Amino acid sequence: MNCTDWEERLALYAGGDLAPAPAAEVERHLAECAGCQMFASGLRASLELLEGAHQEVPAPAHFAAVRSRVLAQLERERRPFWRRAWVYGFAAVAAMLLAAVAIWPSRWVAPPPPEVAIVHAPAAPVPIVPARPPQAGHKPRKKAEPGEPLMVRLVTDNPDVVIYWISERKGEY
Amino acid sequence: MSTLTLLAEANGSNVIAAAKAGDLAAFEQLMRQYERMVLVTALRLLGSLHDAQDASQEVFLKLYRNLGKVEASGNISGWLYRVTVNACHDLRRRRPDSVPMEDAGELRSREADPAEQSAEQERRCVLQLSLRMLSEKERAALVLRDLEGLTTEEVARVLGSSEATVRSQISKARVKVKGFVERYFRRHV
Ligand SMILES: [Zn+2]
Repeated sequence: MNCTDWEERLALYAGGDLAPAPAAEVERHLAECAGCQMFASGLRASLELLEGAHQEVPAPAHFAAVRSRVLAQLERERRPFWRRAWVYGFAAVAAMLLAAVAIWPSRWVAPPPPEVAIVHAPAAPVPIVPARPPQAGHKPRKKAEPGEPLMVRLVTDNPDVVIYWISERKGEY
Repeated sequence: MSTLTLLAEANGSNVIAAAKAGDLAAFEQLMRQYERMVLVTALRLLGSLHDAQDASQEVFLKLYRNLGKVEASGNISGWLYRVTVNACHDLRRRRPDSVPMEDAGELRSREADPAEQSAEQERRCVLQLSLRMLSEKERAALVLRDLEGLTTEEVARVLGSSEATVRSQISKARVKVKGFVERYFRRHV
């Protein structure tokens, strides 16, 4: 048998990948073939060098970088919409606007006698806002009852601000 | 797979359950447990630390999304090896021209003496380069068998091929590495 035919088996033998019977066969050939002995020792040496060269492990910072990238991505994906940055921004702007309205001089928040239009709900020709949203299963009431809510519309001198005041009537007012 | 790995996996089942329930701290613990295996395997397959980090990131994101499947399989290491090999294959297809040796200097070295360190680094580079001479399948088989220490049966399962194929790939790879190493060191030493 030509020695190149032994190469594959020698390569498996070098890594301990031969079953006992073929390993014994290889050993018998090695005992009588100097060329294959050299080949086998070269295989073992290069395998050892290769293993040695790959013993180095990247510095801990390289692992930490991967971990933090993965966690950051997972955090981004699982964050519910009300916890995303733009919602906070929007809420902050809304809060600032409300605060500005509250602090603004009493010109239109508490207007000295504003033009008030009092509309009694039962008689309202055009309801501006339904006092209650229609509910499923509830038939619309045809007649106003004594406990019907009272709706007040405050028209301020700021055309963009109209204040609605809806109050429950308890028999008298 | 070693007894130690199997023990770690038995203890890890609670961690997997917690991570599956959305506990990111538990998932971080799981990553710490397997990050060396994933990043180092990717580095050996790709030869670039930067690429290996990208591949690791993909592997762990995939792990998070498949925790149920992984838990059911009961073999997280095998699953991670398979996904790592696939992630490296995809990444190499996307970035065929990545430079293999750019990151050799980033690896921690035990040598303090700069001259010795640079010689050691060069030797390491050559040996890492020898893996680049192999076909992708041969490299994967060699890395998993000789550097990660899996059995040929485990390598076959990870690579989805027969044991006979894996044995043939491993033996060819070993002969090629021997030839490359001997040619290089005969010329340079
Ligand atoms: Zn011979």
